[in-house]
Amino acid sequence: MIQVRNVSKTYLQGKQEIQALHNISFGMEKGEFVSIMGPSGSGKSTLLNLIGGIDQPSAGEIFIDGSPLHGISDDELTLIRRRKVGFIFQFFNLLPILTAEENVGLPLLLDGVPFSRIKEKACRLLENVGLGLRTDHRPEQLSGGEMQRVAIARALITDPAVLLADEPTGNLDSHISEEILELLKNLNQAGQTIVMVTHDARAASFGKRIIRLKDGGITEDVSVPGCDV
Amino acid sequence: MNLWNLLRYISMKHLRLQKAQIFMAVAGICLGVTAIVSIGVVNRSVIFSFQDSFNRMIGNAALQITGAQSGFPESIIEKVQDVRGVQYAVPVIETDGMLVDGKERSMLILGVDVLVDTQVRDYSLTGESADVPDPILFLAKPDSILITKAMADREGFAIDQKIQVQTVEGIRTFRIRGLLNPEGPAKAMGGNVAVMDIYAAQMAFGKTGRIDRIDVSLRKGENLETVRQAIMDALPKGYMVDTPAGRTRQVENMIAKFQNGFDFISYLAILVGMYLIYNAVSISVVHRRKEIGILRAIGCRRKEIMLLFMGETLMISVIASSLGVALGLLLANSLVGAFGKVISETFVRTSVTGIHVTWLYPAIGLLCGMITSLIAALFPAMSSSRISPASAIRSVPYTEDKIFTTLRLNLGGVFFIALSFLLFHIYGFSGPYLLAAQIMLAVGISFFTPAFLNGFVTLFNRVFASRLGSAGRLAGLNLRKNLTRNAVAVAAVFFGISVFVASSGYVHSVKGTTLNWLDSIIKSEIILSSGHPGSSTNAQIIPLPANMSRELEKVPGVLAAAPWRRAFTDYQGSKVLLSASDYTQYPKRSHDGAGPGFMKNQTHFIPDGNRVEISEAFAAIFSVKKGDEISLPTPAGPVVFKVAGIVVDYSYDSGVINMDIKTYQRYWGDMLCNSFLVHVEAGAKVGDVRDEIQRRFGVDRKLYVLSALEFKNEIRKMLDDMFIFNYALNVITLTIACLGIIVALFASVLERTREIGTLRAIGMLRRQIYGVVVLESVLMGLAGGSLGSVAGIISGWLNLEGFFVASLGSAKYYLPFGAILWALLLSAGLSALAGMIPARRAAKTNIVEALAYD
Ligand SMILES: Nc1ncnc2c1ncn2[C@@H]1O[C@H](COP(=O)(O)OP(=O)(O)OP(=O)(O)O)[C@@H](O)[C@H]1O
Ligand SMILES: [Mg+2]
Repeated sequence: MIQVRNVSKTYLQGKQEIQALHNISFGMEKGEFVSIMGPSGSGKSTLLNLIGGIDQPSAGEIFIDGSPLHGISDDELTLIRRRKVGFIFQFFNLLPILTAEENVGLPLLLDGVPFSRIKEKACRLLENVGLGLRTDHRPEQLSGGEMQRVAIARALITDPAVLLADEPTGNLDSHISEEILELLKNLNQAGQTIVMVTHDARAASFGKRIIRLKDGGITEDVSVPGCDV
Repeated sequence: MNLWNLLRYISMKHLRLQKAQIFMAVAGICLGVTAIVSIGVVNRSVIFSFQDSFNRMIGNAALQITGAQSGFPESIIEKVQDVRGVQYAVPVIETDGMLVDGKERSMLILGVDVLVDTQVRDYSLTGESADVPDPILFLAKPDSILITKAMADREGFAIDQKIQVQTVEGIRTFRIRGLLNPEGPAKAMGGNVAVMDIYAAQMAFGKTGRIDRIDVSLRKGENLETVRQAIMDALPKGYMVDTPAGRTRQVENMIAKFQNGFDFISYLAILVGMYLIYNAVSISVVHRRKEIGILRAIGCRRKEIMLLFMGETLMISVIASSLGVALGLLLANSLVGAFGKVISETFVRTSVTGIHVTWLYPAIGLLCGMITSLIAALFPAMSSSRISPASAIRSVPYTEDKIFTTLRLNLGGVFFIALSFLLFHIYGFSGPYLLAAQIMLAVGISFFTPAFLNGFVTLFNRVFASRLGSAGRLAGLNLRKNLTRNAVAVAAVFFGISVFVASSGYVHSVKGTTLNWLDSIIKSEIILSSGHPGSSTNAQIIPLPANMSRELEKVPGVLAAAPWRRAFTDYQGSKVLLSASDYTQYPKRSHDGAGPGFMKNQTHFIPDGNRVEISEAFAAIFSVKKGDEISLPTPAGPVVFKVAGIVVDYSYDSGVINMDIKTYQRYWGDMLCNSFLVHVEAGAKVGDVRDEIQRRFGVDRKLYVLSALEFKNEIRKMLDDMFIFNYALNVITLTIACLGIIVALFASVLERTREIGTLRAIGMLRRQIYGVVVLESVLMGLAGGSLGSVAGIISGWLNLEGFFVASLGSAKYYLPFGAILWALLLSAGLSALAGMIPARRAAKTNIVEALAYD
């Protein structure tokens, strides 16, 4: 499903080179739920962005669902993001100007589908994440947990090959976090492939496998105890 | 199409949410389009009204024969009639008359040969006139007159009523014999037309034995050009035989020359609007960086982001341009009267009754508004598409490379300035290129505004900031923070102020030069005329008999009264102005030996010597030097005159010829004059003499008797009217510039919400916050104002050289000190005003909300 081969990423900050990732390789099967852990600045977000095609590696190869993410044009990369990847961010990143259902439908709107044909699916997804009564609310009228549910629904609307989440609970209290993680777990159990970055060992335990990063390299890659991979 | 979805779901909501910013952008473009449309439409309307009146007057004649304005002998008619191919040769007297009763409306009096004129022109009389068997025949009675139904209704006249009309012979009473239906010539000049028998008109308007014009219709199947040539051959030199189209074109060119300047300045207004749009879009890009990042992250392509912003701009510009077109038409409607009056007083007799709208100017306005907006939006839209999807994830974005680095901007500035110099080098001071060169220069300078603002702020920080406390320091720092954007606002002010200073400098110099020149030539204490005193040419003057000077000199206190005739004649195919006065008798009797229209001690005018003086413009256009001989067409054939001198004379840009009035009368047989220059005896009171003249002659005719000072004030007023568009454009560009400041400050206040919240939290007072923002605004205004003043001074001089000196003669450039002071006051004052709106917003910032995470 996902192949990461000898991937490195360096950023140029002024004249200074920052090596965010250093020769990383790993693979993932369909239906896996991988948690990426590591200290701040270790390159977790960078890795996730590379997998999601938000950024491109400086060296190495990444394949998602069989398509290469390297050596392709920005437009092609964008279309992969649009159709094969679902993103969940720490700060939700909903568009404040859109209602919940419009936010959810946005990736399909981008694909040129008229909203009348999206609406039904968007509402159904919102219902699935427990927001069936909030479809017309704007983000500012929602709580943090509700906003994250909208973001999850948005990530799912294109039936993506993989769901990527960067500290999805980083901005929520533990009770709400639990609910969100439960939601992700259920999605995974229904067959959804998920990669989640987190600081929190408890959050990581909702997944089936943990990859630890330090200074841009993998230090550990283990299955979560009690999980049958 | 997914762009449609984006526009519908993203843009429409933004448009609804950011009403204030959108309003500014819309207003900017709207005003620019307003300027273009209003000026275009007014120009077009004036020309159209002229053409329309002209064509109605000429009826279906194929050719028109004209000579000097003094008229020509009737015997010419036979010569024309005898030419093969000519069907009718119809004589016409065309002159101004003034209704004395009521509102003293001036009208055009058409003297026609009633027996043949209907062959060329269509008249019909209203039903009320029908009980008279053949009203046209009644015109044979010399007091008969036909007026239009429109005029009768307006003035409350009826058939058989007597009306009083100012003529060359004084006020005369005429009897209305019929009313003309609104068709043909009766619809010309807004209906202010009266028809008389040609003989009666000749008598009343001092043209006995002479006619103004012959309208010619051709026999069927005759070739126009052949007949035209045949007529030319049959007549002495100096007569113009032209098609109606050819005749209108001359006048159109003349009017166009005057109008061109305005046309171009109006495009400057839209240029200022462009800076506004540029800023509005770049601000919107900055504010929506996160949104763009999210859109990019979830799969929006670069091109789509760019198209999103272009699409939004297109929507805004369509709305703004449409509004601008509507406003432009309204403005045109309210300005057309005043402008028509100016044209009528200074160039040619017209009566502009309303605006004439074709699709052309609304279309130009719409296109200009849309295209300039799109161009202005292009760069910020391009930079929006460079925003990386990773921006969605981070709240503080990593620095990205900007399109407009200061280096690139400076290079661009150098490029435009070089281009301007190149244009100037190749084309010199010639009209349109000069304007293009000026615009390039201004654009070039505007590219340096970031560097200039930076320097300005440095200076401010060093010299003043410390005296203004924390507000001063903060204002300086803030301006630097968003240098480029603030510089764009400064550039808008720069444009506004430079247009203001340039046009003030130009107007100031034209006024100063003209009035100075009048001072030097008008040595008399009293100027007496029968029409608009400022009218230097033919329009709206009912001439006076030249021999009235004898009676004038009988008035106690009058030392000398010199007739002054100004009439057009043809010279080498174009119209020039003949200016004739008494250069022999009058100087002998005046105090200082100077003649009217004439510098001191110029004695080369010998009545029999066939000598003339020419204006600098004449010398330049026809390449004539002092001592050369020129051949002028007179009604009796060409006469050679010697050029005794070249003088400054601004009264007509195609050239002026000064000669002694005796010489003029002898060759042109014209015993009329436009005005009298009256010298008052040493001890006499000017006011008393004036009143006495009015008492003696005022019963018989309507006269303007003005003291030299009043006369100059009239001229000053006329010049002011002439520049009415300059003033309107100044207001428009300055308004756009203010909008530019508001947009920039609004954005920076919004961006600083968090910072302002922090400042408030640690104890900054509301009014201190307010002060900082207003101070920033004033600084931007002053930076733009000072740079604009410098550019305006240069460009005012260029305009004077290019538009006045090049066509009328050498002039002095008067530095517009008053305007510069005003410019600085205005730029500080208006920007302070503009800053108040965002400052209020800043002062109101809610601390809790500002510090909460967004
Ligand atoms: N666009 C960028 N330009 C320059 N440097 C970057 C950029 N993005 C990340 N970095 C650097 O790369 C390194 C890894 O960053 P990354 O965001 O992947 O860390 P992280 O593991 O997600 O940390 P955190 O847990 O704090 O989110 C850091 O040193 C960061 O400063
Ligand atoms: Mg991170």
